[in-house]
Amino acid sequence: MGAGIEGLCPFHAKERKLTDSSSIDATLRALLADVLGLGEDRAAALTDDSGLFGELPEFDSMAVATVLTEMEDRLGIIIDDDEVDGEIFETYGNLLAFSLRKVTS
Amino acid sequence: MAEHRLRIDPAGTPRATIVIVPPLFEEANRTRRTLVLAMRALVANGFAALLPDLPGQNESLVPLVEVDLDRWQDALAEVIAGNDGPAIIASVRGGTLIDHKAKAAAWWRLAPVGGASLLRTLMRARVSADREAGVRSSLEDLQAAARSEALLLAGNALSPAMIAGLGAAEAQPVAPLRSIGIGADGIAGTPLWLRAEPGEDAAMARAIAADIAAWSKSCGIS
Repeated sequence: MGAGIEGLCPFHAKERKLTDSSSIDATLRALLADVLGLGEDRAAALTDDSGLFGELPEFDSMAVATVLTEMEDRLGIIIDDDEVDGEIFETYGNLLAFSLRKVTS
Repeated sequence: MAEHRLRIDPAGTPRATIVIVPPLFEEANRTRRTLVLAMRALVANGFAALLPDLPGQNESLVPLVEVDLDRWQDALAEVIAGNDGPAIIASVRGGTLIDHKAKAAAWWRLAPVGGASLLRTLMRARVSADREAGVRSSLEDLQAAARSEALLLAGNALSPAMIAGLGAAEAQPVAPLRSIGIGADGIAGTPLWLRAEPGEDAAMARAIAADIAAWSKSCGIS
């Protein structure tokens, strides 16, 4: 696949960033699988529109607390109270966008 | 007061006694079944296995609000002191914060966690439950209140001493120690202690038992 790699070379910086966001995505899926007991298949099938809090029965307020602390530990971020509103747990896409914002800020 | 303890003995003289120090609070419930499966696997391998109730947890008659980390450390030290033959402590998660006062022959720690991280999750669950009930609270407010009054956090009534102790607690150095995580470089399995709904993992229990048995041997205990 030499041609493919050469093709990516000019976009090295961009590619790096993409890799970062995909590793955050993978970290977040693994974390939700661990906390909610989703199993790899269900975690992999989450899309941006997948509902979380209020839609997955396992996602109660204790699970929200556990997810926040694990996000801090695994992504190396600190999450303040006032950043946490209902919206970030509405969908997987919202949670991923919040994580990306926190990691890159 | 003597607390309830789950003890399983092998036929004949045990190679050693494995004393399980479970995770703290809700995490203990989420892991209990898998830890007991690990105990049974250890017993099948010639060990005695002991899972003591901590004061204020499980069947204990002591109100949790009267307990702090020092009391848990002392209770474990007493359990070990009353045990015949060599004892190996196998502590999990928050259990690793209270296992150092006991005079064990060796220590085995799975997925150690800082007390501050456990406390943060408990406080967050309270903030989140308050919010659902239409009450405004914050981690800062709770931390300030905890200096002078007991707090109810995710169903646990915790005293100012317990909260201060947890906030500062880290696993202490002990020797000989094997500290291991989960995943590719550690015990194969998933962090059951995080699960919103309790699960069990028989393969993980066998892996835990096998790793403890190998550690016992490499410490020259049996």
